[in-house]
Amino acid sequence: MARWGMVIDLDKCTGCQACTVACKEENNVPYGSPRENRQRTEIYWNKVIAVSRGEYPSVNIEMIPMPCMHCDNPPCVQVCPAKATFIREDGIVVQNFRRCIGCKYCIVACPYGVRNFNYKEQAEEKYHRPDPPPDRSVIGPWPFPTRTHGVVEKCTFCFHRIDAGLKENKTIGTEVVPACVESCPAKARFFGDLDDPESIVSQQVATRGSFTLKEGKGTHPKVHYLPK
Amino acid sequence: MASDFVTIEGKSKNYRAAVIVFGILALIGLICFALSYVFGHQLFGSSNTIPWGMPIVLAIYLIGLSAGSLILSSLTYVFGKEEFRPIARMAVLLAIVLIFGAMISIAVDLGRPEKFWRLFMFFYLNNMTSMFAINGILYGGYFVISLVYMGIILANQKQASRFMGILAVCWAVLVHMGTGAIFGFVAARETWFSPIKPLEFLSAALASGLALLIVVTLLTLKLSGRSINKGMIASLANMLRMFIILLFILIVVDKLTHLYEPARDATIFMLAGEYAWIFWVLQIGLAVVLPLAILFHAKLNKTIKWITVASVSVVIGIFFERYYLVIPGSAYPLHFYPGKIEGVYGAVGTFQIMPAEMGLSLGILALLALLFLLALRYLEALPPKPMESPQPTAASPAPSASATQTTG
Repeated sequence: MARWGMVIDLDKCTGCQACTVACKEENNVPYGSPRENRQRTEIYWNKVIAVSRGEYPSVNIEMIPMPCMHCDNPPCVQVCPAKATFIREDGIVVQNFRRCIGCKYCIVACPYGVRNFNYKEQAEEKYHRPDPPPDRSVIGPWPFPTRTHGVVEKCTFCFHRIDAGLKENKTIGTEVVPACVESCPAKARFFGDLDDPESIVSQQVATRGSFTLKEGKGTHPKVHYLPK
Repeated sequence: MASDFVTIEGKSKNYRAAVIVFGILALIGLICFALSYVFGHQLFGSSNTIPWGMPIVLAIYLIGLSAGSLILSSLTYVFGKEEFRPIARMAVLLAIVLIFGAMISIAVDLGRPEKFWRLFMFFYLNNMTSMFAINGILYGGYFVISLVYMGIILANQKQASRFMGILAVCWAVLVHMGTGAIFGFVAARETWFSPIKPLEFLSAALASGLALLIVVTLLTLKLSGRSINKGMIASLANMLRMFIILLFILIVVDKLTHLYEPARDATIFMLAGEYAWIFWVLQIGLAVVLPLAILFHAKLNKTIKWITVASVSVVIGIFFERYYLVIPGSAYPLHFYPGKIEGVYGAVGTFQIMPAEMGLSLGILALLALLFLLALRYLEALPPKPMESPQPTAASPAPSASATQTTG
């Protein structure tokens, strides 16, 4: 079984937020108002944070895109009381909206702040996008018919694309990639099988001193970064 | 012992007024809950930075009060201290009402409250590594055990009540330590992650439970025209003093260990940031300094009035301890990457006081007060009136009518 992972090259990233927008389009994640953004009640499956170091004139700003880290040892899975979030065989951590009771314990427990609570009923008429027909062969909630408020959402590595691609015998990582990887204009993101030494992510991880976020927490994220 | 305890008559004006007022408040809470269910948690003040709001504050507070109150009932039923018998039944009754309120608070804080039952599918649909699921067992078991305990006490089974008392007390200790573990085991939040949290919660439970028991006892006895045993209250106040000191030691140790850690920004924010006044004034001031000053004062600690002041101060102070833990405790932003995170992800979270959330919280408290009043009316939980016991019942209607002035 593959172990899907992502590599983000911070040297190439320009902080254009194309990944954030592409993710919202692909997964029907609603857009929020500026007020909701300030209050942090808007849903972002992928966010780009700006980190500054130093003071003007000697200052450096780095843009860090942060999807879900899909940890090998995910704290959210450990704390979910309803088995609503679980780690798939291929290492993707997914959220089952139908089981989620909305206790928000996983938001508290996630060290990366990638989990978002759905605070309101979505305005379907505005954000409507025709849903793909439900695929009964995939056990799980995807693609879900409608959004419901009161559950926790997160990045899924676009596993609906991966599952569909595998069925059509396409190569994951080159032909089929998550929406954020596909949309990146700077080609700063790579997706593939971390267990396969020939895959593009394994090669990228080996090029420069790659790192993961908050290594000290022992979560073993599958999203690796290449330094600037 | 069957004739020792009585119900209140519940025919006085004050009693009816109190029932009606609390009923209306509970109804308002229900409406707020319905609104939040329909429109989502945008009506609450929580956000992705501060995920938990007032209902969770209330939940852990009520669990603490309940566990503390139940543990104190054991003084009579397990250790056989007869001087506390007059309030022992009320302690158990209070514990049941409060744990019920805590479970309601948790249920209304869920995003999908209709899936509440999923928390009680032990081992089948539950992930048992989650502290929430383990606490589901603890809370559910606690509720059942305290109901059985109350039933046995009301039936005056002495041996059985001793046995159930031991079980209930052990379970109550577990319940509150489990609640502390919800916070203490979260490694992602520096201010919460601590092995001391369960013990800190337990000591807070004992202190606040005892303080609330003193307040409720005095209020109920006074308003229902019963005499107050000064010696009993004074010895309860002595005990309260001990629990507050224990709580204070654990708070200090908890903060100190976090200050010695390499990652101590969050704790410094908690102690000196914009919410620090809640800690220093409301938590330390009201829950520790003021009551200790009163209870160690040679004269003040003998008067009922000042003991009441100290107890009320502890009850309020420990509420703010919980508030401070849940809301400012999660406000400090997480450090995803070394450096200063710009924008909303690096900003300290804001918590808005929202009307629906406050109405809901008040409604839950009013519902509990209502349940307690109704329970006093229908269950024999109060000690008898001393002046009535030697006289035949139908002596004179006028004094008994004035004496049935009840809680308000």
